[in-house]
Order: sequence, then C-alpha cells, then structure tokens
Amino acid sequence: MPAASAERRVSRESIAVSVRDVGMAFGDVHAVRNASFDLPKGKFLTILGPSGSGKTTLLRMIAGFDAPTSGEIFINNSPVSAVPPHRRAIGMVFQKLALFPHMTAAENVAFPLKMRRHDARAIPEKVERYLQLVRLGGYGGRRINELSGGQQQRVAIARALVFEPDLLLLDEPLAALDRKLREEMQLEFRRIQKELGVTTINVTHDQREALVVSDEVIVMEGGRIQQKAEPVHAYRSPANTFVANFIGVTNFIEGVVAARDGALVSVAAHGRTLTGVAVGDAPATGGACAGAVRAEQIRIAPRADALDRLDTVLAGTVADAIFEGERIVYEVRVPHLGDQLVRVFDHDPVNHLQFSPGDSVCLGWNARDMHVFKK
Amino acid sequence: MTGSRSKSIVIWTFVITALVMLSAPTIVVLGASFTAGNIITFPPEGLSLKWYGAIAQASDLRQAFVRSLIVASICTIVSIPVGTLAGIALAKYRVRFARSIQIYLLLPFTIPLIGSGIGMMLVFGNMGVLGSLWPVGIACCVINLPFMIWAVTASASNLSPDLELAAANCGAPPLQRFLYITLPAVLPGVITGSLLMFILALNEFLVSLLLVDARSVTLPVQIYNSIRSIITPDLAAISVVFIASAAIAIAVLDRLVGLDIFLKSK
Repeated sequence: MPAASAERRVSRESIAVSVRDVGMAFGDVHAVRNASFDLPKGKFLTILGPSGSGKTTLLRMIAGFDAPTSGEIFINNSPVSAVPPHRRAIGMVFQKLALFPHMTAAENVAFPLKMRRHDARAIPEKVERYLQLVRLGGYGGRRINELSGGQQQRVAIARALVFEPDLLLLDEPLAALDRKLREEMQLEFRRIQKELGVTTINVTHDQREALVVSDEVIVMEGGRIQQKAEPVHAYRSPANTFVANFIGVTNFIEGVVAARDGALVSVAAHGRTLTGVAVGDAPATGGACAGAVRAEQIRIAPRADALDRLDTVLAGTVADAIFEGERIVYEVRVPHLGDQLVRVFDHDPVNHLQFSPGDSVCLGWNARDMHVFKK
Repeated sequence: MTGSRSKSIVIWTFVITALVMLSAPTIVVLGASFTAGNIITFPPEGLSLKWYGAIAQASDLRQAFVRSLIVASICTIVSIPVGTLAGIALAKYRVRFARSIQIYLLLPFTIPLIGSGIGMMLVFGNMGVLGSLWPVGIACCVINLPFMIWAVTASASNLSPDLELAAANCGAPPLQRFLYITLPAVLPGVITGSLLMFILALNEFLVSLLLVDARSVTLPVQIYNSIRSIITPDLAAISVVFIASAAIAIAVLDRLVGLDIFLKSK
C-alpha cells in the first residue's frame, strides 16, 4: 500500500496540466462540455477538431482569457481559475501571431522578460539566445513588418518561450501559411519542443499536423472530447465514427449487426454480409451499425482472383481516378453496396496498373481492417 | 487607342482645373504679400518684403498670433487625453450606448458654429471668464473633438484584440498593457488628431469672435477687424504666415507618422 501511494504521488507531480470536468457555456450554448484530461510534463499534445468544436475555447481557458463556467483547471497541481492570465507562467503563440507592431523583433522577445521583471542586464543576451534558437540570430533589430511570414512565426515562438514558461500554447499559428512553409514549421515546432522539453498544447484542425507533431492527440467535436490517444493509436483505432471520419479517409458501410462472435461482427448491408471487428461498446445483434474501412486498406485489382486471400471482395466500376502524385485516389461505384462510392488509395502509381473511369475492377479488404461502430 | 486618349484628356482637364481652383487663393495671397505697392493687388506691383517687415513690427498682430498659438496649444493639450481615451473606448471596448455616444460626439458638427458659439458665450459669460484665453481653447476643443476621435478610432480599430491578450500572456498587468501596447499602437492616430486640432484651433474664427474681447483677440479676429478698416498688403503677408504654419504642421505630420495614415483616417 505505501508503495502504491508513493507511486501515485510521483505520477501526480509529473502532471503539468490537469483539466477536470471543465465546461464553458454561453447562455444555453455549450462550447465545451465536461472536458477532462491530464497532460504529463514535457509532452506535446494536440487538440484536433473542426471549427466550432470548442478546441480554441478550451485553450483560451487554459491561457486564462476566459474562465470556465464549470470544473477546474490545474497547472502544476494548483487550481488556476482565480489566477489572471498575466500571473500564469504560460507562453502562447496566437493564430494571427499578435506581435507588437511598434517594436522590433528583439523588443518583442524582450517584452515578457521586462514584464516579468527579469534582471535587465541579462535580457539582451537571453533575447539573442532565443532568436538563435528559432534561427533568427542577428535579426533582432528588424521591425516586424520587415520580416517574412515564416520569420514572424519564429519571433512569436521566441517571445512565447523566452521566459521559460511551464506551458506553451499554440493556437493554430500555422493555419495561414502556405503548405510548404507550414510543413517546415511543423517540424520546427517539434524540434524546439524536444530541445527545450517544454510541455505544449497545440490546437489545430489539420489532422496531418496533429499526427506529425504530437505525442498525444485529443479529438474534439461538439464541445466534447471524442478521443485522447497517441497519434498512431488514434489513427489505427478510432474510438467512434467521428474520429474515424476526421482523421484519414474512411469509407462507411451502414447496416445492421447480423451476428457476433467475440470481437468479430457480421454486418448485413444491402443484402450481403461483411465481417469486421467491433470497436467500443458495439451494438447487439439487430442494432444499426457502420463498418469503417480506410481507403488505404482496400486493394484494387482488375479481377477477383488477384484478391482471393482477402476476406471481403466486391466488384465495382471506376467512377473517377484522381492523380495526386504520390498516390492515386480511385472512386469506385459498388452495386453490391447500393451504388455507394468507395474511395481507394493506390500508393504505387508508378509500378501499378492504372485504371480509368468506366473500368470494371474488384475491391478487397481484410475483416480486421473493417471497424464496426454503433450508429 | 483614341478612346483612351480622349479619356485621359478629359481626366487631366478635370485634375488641372481642380488643382488651379484649389491653389488659386493661396497663389493670389502669396503673390499679393510680396507687393511693393500700398494696396492688395494681383499680380503684385514689384517685389518686396516690406509688408513682412511691417507685420514683424506690428505688435498687435504679433500679440494676436501669440494668443492664437496659446489657444491652439490649450485646445490640443485638452483634446489629447479626452480624444484618445474616448477614441480607444469607442473602438476597442463594448461600451454601452456606443452608437448613441458616437452620434452625440458628432453633434458639434451638426449644430451651426454660430449656434454653439453663442451657447458657449452664454456659458462662459455666466462664469465670468470671457476675456481669458482658456475658454477659447476649450471651445475650439469642443467643436473640433470629433476630428481627434476619428483619427484615434481609425488607428485603434486596426488593432487586433489579440494584442492585449498577447501582452497579458507576456505577463503585463492591465495598466502596463495600456501604456506599452495599446497607447503606442494608436500613437499615429493621436499625433494626426493633435496636429489637426492644433491647425483647426489656430484658424478658428467664428467661435473666437464670440468669445474674445478687445484684450484677447486671436489672429483671425484681428485680421477680420483690420479688413473692416483698410485692406493693406500686410494682411496678405500675415495670411502667408498662417498658411506657412499649417504647411509646417503637415510637414511635421509627414515626418512623424507619414501622410498615408492621415489620409486613411476616416
């Protein structure tokens, strides 16, 4: 027993942020409902969700700009609802960066140090060190409007980190960048976060960003946390249809449960029976359900005999073939699924046979690649 | 080709006509002030600076000019805190009755100056302060304050509300946020508005006329009084000094904040 409680204390101390039953209601509108999670120190968490899912509201409450209408947020095990934002040791990078336009890059980075009454003699050296960390060494004297979009990003990151905060918050700061720069900055965030070991919460609607940068992902929708998991886990085992649909490209086949055998579920859809794996509290026999198959888990071939080792094989007609460079996306109309369009990825467009709209093809997948969710 | 040429001819005709009409009074006054003769004429009879010498000697004009500068300074000093705070409040915070307050602040524009001038004459007369310069400064501030508020709100509404949140996140308490972030960010608007207030108060005639007595005439009133007796070229010379003061103010504005901000402010 003493050993167990000691272990518990250690784990408590390693938690940087703890969100307990936090809710935010504007009148009858609930932006966030009963959100709870723990974030261990040094981890990079991404809150992923569509706009209006409550992810930014949650971040603003952690930053202290809004107070939760219910629940409590703990930072380093202290409740913070009564602590105004300027007394919280949190660095934040804003969506529109919010750099101070009348200051130079160095003055922007020095501002948190001045406001937090750091030793004035040490400030210039520290500012230069953090500008170097974000690879802007020597740019300190530039005015904000003399810097490029990517450089402004870097100034904002330096300003958020320079006072060594307990927690770094990122409010979709990459949303406005073009794709190339965005992907470069994603890796940059990851590098800096690993280098400093600062606990980070990132908010985004970009699933790719969430998968690339994070140690853990929280998927939010309708003000509720839908799933909290490591990126790989969230991708491989989505908790529900929303997560399955939001991360990755997923085909949903609607039907009813015909039979259950342990984890295996037989789904009756459009007069056929497809076998899949139950996820979560899967429905009882006769209940409505949805089978979810990732586009990259489906094989495509000209004839069925090439797919004879797969559990489910269906014939169809190519409706569209979209060449995306590293892959081809086929949209295949499947008569056995009520003419549903099924999306299939072919990741080797150089070596594989290519299909054109109108071609007859066969699709196949394994039973373990179809996740069956309750409807 | 011919279509676009005739279009450009029409446009240039308009532009040149407008420029001539706008600058004609200035050119006439400027020319007349350098005359060597004893009456205002354009084109001038010969060239001399004698009327500039004359106004430099005329103590009544000089004193009136100094009084106008004092009035303009009082007006500007009062309008800076009042206009800046009102402008920021209207642009940045959800003030109750913001719309009504905005309309109320525009009222001085809709009331004829003679009306508000008489009103202020009665108020200051009852207080027994007519004849001092500060009521004139206050009056100029009241009637021109919308310009100041416009200039500040134009700057302040371009401000992202995230700036203050970012400052809070950097550890700045509310007062520091205002002093270090909000105020410097609206400074171009404050400078624009202040110079505008200064020029308007320097030139203000009608309200000054109602509020001054023989001991406290401002320059526009002094010039008006002189016109009623004899029109001599010294009036043209003093007008040129006036125009030059305004031009200097514009040049200062351009150096400090750039004219583009001034032109963009609503």
